[in-house]
Amino acid sequence: MAKTLVIQPVTRIEGHAKVTIQLDDAGNVDTARVNVIELRGFERFCIGRPVEDMPRITPRICGVCPWSHHLAAAKACDAVFGVEPPPAGRKLRELCNSIAYMEEHILHFYFLAGADFLLGPSADYSVRNVIGILQAAPDVARRVVRGRHMCAKMLETLAGKSIHPQAAVPGGFSKPLLPEERDQLRKMADEALELAKFSIAFAKENVFPKYLELVKSLGVITSGFLGTVTDDGALNLYNGKLRLMAPDGSFEDFPYDRYTEFIAEHIEPWSYLKFPYAKKWGSFSMDLDKPGGVYRANTLARINVCDYINTPLAQAELEEFRQKFGRPAQLTLLYHWARLIELLYNAENAIRLLDDPEITSRETRVKVTPRAARGVGCVEAPRGTLIHDYETDADGMLTNVNLIVGTTHNNAPINMSVTQAAKGSINNGNYDQGILNTVEMSIRAYDPCFSCATHRLDGKLSVKLDIVGANGKLLDSFAN
Amino acid sequence: MPEPDQAELPDFCRKPTLILGCGNVLFGDDGFGCALVEYLEAHYTLPQDICLLDVGTGVRKLLFTLCLSPVRPRRVLILDALDVGRDPGELFEIAPEDIPAIKCDDFSLHQLPTSNLLRELEEQCGVEVRVLACQTASLPEEVRPGLSEPVLRALPRAAELIAARLFPAPSGARREGSGG
Repeated sequence: MAKTLVIQPVTRIEGHAKVTIQLDDAGNVDTARVNVIELRGFERFCIGRPVEDMPRITPRICGVCPWSHHLAAAKACDAVFGVEPPPAGRKLRELCNSIAYMEEHILHFYFLAGADFLLGPSADYSVRNVIGILQAAPDVARRVVRGRHMCAKMLETLAGKSIHPQAAVPGGFSKPLLPEERDQLRKMADEALELAKFSIAFAKENVFPKYLELVKSLGVITSGFLGTVTDDGALNLYNGKLRLMAPDGSFEDFPYDRYTEFIAEHIEPWSYLKFPYAKKWGSFSMDLDKPGGVYRANTLARINVCDYINTPLAQAELEEFRQKFGRPAQLTLLYHWARLIELLYNAENAIRLLDDPEITSRETRVKVTPRAARGVGCVEAPRGTLIHDYETDADGMLTNVNLIVGTTHNNAPINMSVTQAAKGSINNGNYDQGILNTVEMSIRAYDPCFSCATHRLDGKLSVKLDIVGANGKLLDSFAN
Repeated sequence: MPEPDQAELPDFCRKPTLILGCGNVLFGDDGFGCALVEYLEAHYTLPQDICLLDVGTGVRKLLFTLCLSPVRPRRVLILDALDVGRDPGELFEIAPEDIPAIKCDDFSLHQLPTSNLLRELEEQCGVEVRVLACQTASLPEEVRPGLSEPVLRALPRAAELIAARLFPAPSGARREGSGG
């Protein structure tokens, strides 16, 4: 019988993730614990600030998805002030969201996701040479380069040159889109759509067939899913209601401001980061055979929870995906495929918004007045549902802030995946040096966001792995 | 009148000199690079051929775009805080090859090694890349914005260094009456 160890939360996580694998007397895995670095003290730092500061401050949390925080904060401000932006304000925000998504998804698929497709857990990872890819596949690369530049330029036109988004404000959007600007963007959006269509066709032909083997061999966990849908169940990344789907496919929908009735946060003594779980499914458990309340949030979750996609090309892709993998699909690495369906949706959605006559309306914002209130703003960030929950006093100063980011929703599933991977790799005390790679890969499969961590010029996913024996003794330590 | 293709490129690709302030302003001295950009904007008139950006923690995405761009700056200067055991507030310059080499896996945009991108930019794309770094005093474990005294005092010195190297007089002169 393994001793019960009291493990204190790690006060300073070296790098981004600290993993502790606890072995039992027989040398098999008893538990694996993943401590992921989180942004400590942010909520406390916000108390006492004017709530309208939040759309400006929160993009600083994440240099990769600043638009997600920016929009969620603006929406939470709308809710606190009790206002709805005018149609043009909402549509301009949603247009920026779709373009930011495209930029991110294009980058991720072509240059970053490949390693998960083409290499196995014990491969020696070599440098992804950006220029090398350009040279190896110049035609593809040219299209991708152009696509990314266009997205960057489109955001510059819509929202100004600042890297940190500032255009969304409480009550709407700070500047209207001129008709001549809209015409420019419309041409660019057409090209973005061609790239999206090309990308998913390319992936289905050249990439996914190869990687499906890997997809099946990298452990599967069974979980529920969280995403956003419109009133009639269509995929929407900017606005809607939340849908929490159980592993058997049944689901419940709820508006943002009732999320605490459905999502609770479990606390473990060994981690500062909480474990969100679906409280109506019973008590929380990360047991691999009988998980309790565990759900995932990310592109795969969104593809699973929506009934349909209200743009035709993406809808056709969704139907094909569901024919192959069912609903909900559980294979973790399918999130790459789901990402390309989203890329297509965002391209079609950008065109639809640009064709909407309301998009050039001069009425883009309404006035706001401070009041004591609570407001919840939510968007789908690329890596999962992003929740900003604010409370203010009568002067509009923050008295409480709660943020749940994509990676936090995935805290329990990450732990489960690592536990499963560890169990598969350690037997009767035997394991090889590839264990670190295997653990890393399981974490990476969630595409976790550690950007909120103190950035480093040599930034990389750094994992520190300790293997601890039944007697509490540290047997081995790996770091990359 | 720029070529149609060029007009589609963001400013940070097109201008000959690009200065990027990097860091997380939520974590004390880590915000040095961003603070330096703010200082330069407040106290200097920038020449037209310089693009100065506070990129926060998003530098990797921008460097990535630069690597892929058909048009790139001639030189890129990164402003950043580093902890390499020097005296707090000390300013020093490093070239991409001096950035500590580590195992180079790059599977998420969040973890794409900036060091690799900087090296590629220099070695494969012919862009001159330098890092102007400031030694941190300490880095808080929790959100706590605000530079330490030694790093705060380094701002004007760093700005002068940059102006002397990159801003041709008189257009890059420090503005009169711009305060301390």
